Amino acid sequence: MEDEFFGEKSFQHYCAEFIKHSQQIGDGWEWKTAKDCSDGYMCKTQFQIKNGTTTSHRGTPASVHTCLPTEENLELTVDDSEVMESAAASQVIKYEYHVVYSCSYQVPVLYFRASFLDGRPLALKDIWEGVHECYKTRLLQGPWDTITQQWRTCLGLFHSVGCAPVPALLRELIEHPILGQPFFVLHPCKTNEFMTAVLKNPQKINRNVNYITSWLSIMGPVVGLNLPLSYAKATSQDE
Amino acid sequence: MTDDKDVLRDVWFGRIPTCFTLYQDEITEREAEPYYLLLPRVSYLTLVTDKVKKHFQKAMRQEDVSEIWFEYEGTPLKWHYPIGLLFDLLASSSALPWNITVHFKSFPEKDLLHCPSKDAVEAHFMSCMKEADALKHKSQVINEMQKKDHKQLWMGLQNDRFDQFWAINRKLMEYPPEENGFRYIPFRIYQTTTERPFIQKLFRPVAADGQLHTLGDLLKEVCPSAVTAEDGEKKNQVMIHGIEPMLETPLQWLSEHLSYPDNFLHISIVPQSTD
Repeated sequence: MEDEFFGEKSFQHYCAEFIKHSQQIGDGWEWKTAKDCSDGYMCKTQFQIKNGTTTSHRGTPASVHTCLPTEENLELTVDDSEVMESAAASQVIKYEYHVVYSCSYQVPVLYFRASFLDGRPLALKDIWEGVHECYKTRLLQGPWDTITQQWRTCLGLFHSVGCAPVPALLRELIEHPILGQPFFVLHPCKTNEFMTAVLKNPQKINRNVNYITSWLSIMGPVVGLNLPLSYAKATSQDE
Repeated sequence: MTDDKDVLRDVWFGRIPTCFTLYQDEITEREAEPYYLLLPRVSYLTLVTDKVKKHFQKAMRQEDVSEIWFEYEGTPLKWHYPIGLLFDLLASSSALPWNITVHFKSFPEKDLLHCPSKDAVEAHFMSCMKEADALKHKSQVINEMQKKDHKQLWMGLQNDRFDQFWAINRKLMEYPPEENGFRYIPFRIYQTTTERPFIQKLFRPVAADGQLHTLGDLLKEVCPSAVTAEDGEKKNQVMIHGIEPMLETPLQWLSEHLSYPDNFLHISIVPQSTD
């Protein structure tokens, strides 16, 4: 049944390539197989310190997020005196990102959830509040101009598509199809549209593209997930 | 001879007699009597239990009331699953009425989605419909519909209006004359014995040689362990809307007639009942 744009085997292949590079740079992505099935998903856990107090630096936003790749790295921040001052007011938030294949839409779907270390889940607005800064910073960084332009269009797509009747319901809370637990999700129904646009250009100049890398580089930042540039270079070198 | 259209009505108007009892640890100011209600199989718990909520809230103090949630024999009930599916999967072998326990405290965050309003139910319902059409028609039929048609589907379900609903839904049941059915069949298979919430795969209603695939073909392909074992003894019941369709039934027919309003066939596999 692989007559479509992006079948499940392609999905698994691109994820495997993606994880290979992730392992090389210690980016923390891994593959999880479903217990009773041959399929699975890709996942990553990330910890962030959320500073609830305003810092003493002028111009610094009230909510500052420091992205850390692993739990062990938390100890490194003790040297930073600025973080020390507000350590009492800061909280560690655990973000989980899952990349799962949707056979209905035949695209990958990004599931995510966030919780405090004691297990209390974060509401969507808290998560959104948290990623706003990363997203804005991302937009300002070149050389992503083409991608961010398409990305702005994508977000426009999400807003205007009306995937759900509630306007601006950018992401819904739904059940993870393999774990059965509540997750937020970036709705997949328009993924095909913008991915076709994104993949057209590199394919014209015969550059090899990892679908998952391109897709995740667009979707990820909206929910606080950033991809180091080395992923893009890794793909070009693969073949 | 029953018309196929009658099946659509029978499915739509299926009801489950239910008894709602308040959880014993909830703090009440006065005695809360159990509340009896006929639940529509094709609807969703949070859509049809306003009266239940009002009834129990009358016996409690305002400050002790937060989001309502339901549970059956210790299992939190997922409001985003159709009622009939929940019953078939969890309680079909028990005597009626279906005994559901009502909670207002200690919402199980890890197990249940919050349902902040009817809009959440609508969003979920429409999301399922869109996914079903992605499978059946590459989303062409549902995307061609106007917003008012989508609204009519939802209002039809919410207000229990069969004709209003099917006036639009019939378009989602059509397929090009040159084909013998939908592109893929929207289905989900549920079992309580697996960790995974459901099985959903791509499956065509017609084989390469033009033969119509049956329910038995589907089960053999995606869930072989669930059907009859080598010794011939039937371990499980394959249930949709409280009935066991014959395994020889064409899947295309099942999809057109026994789907839930969200256009999915929600199939329960439950241990063979002993009576």
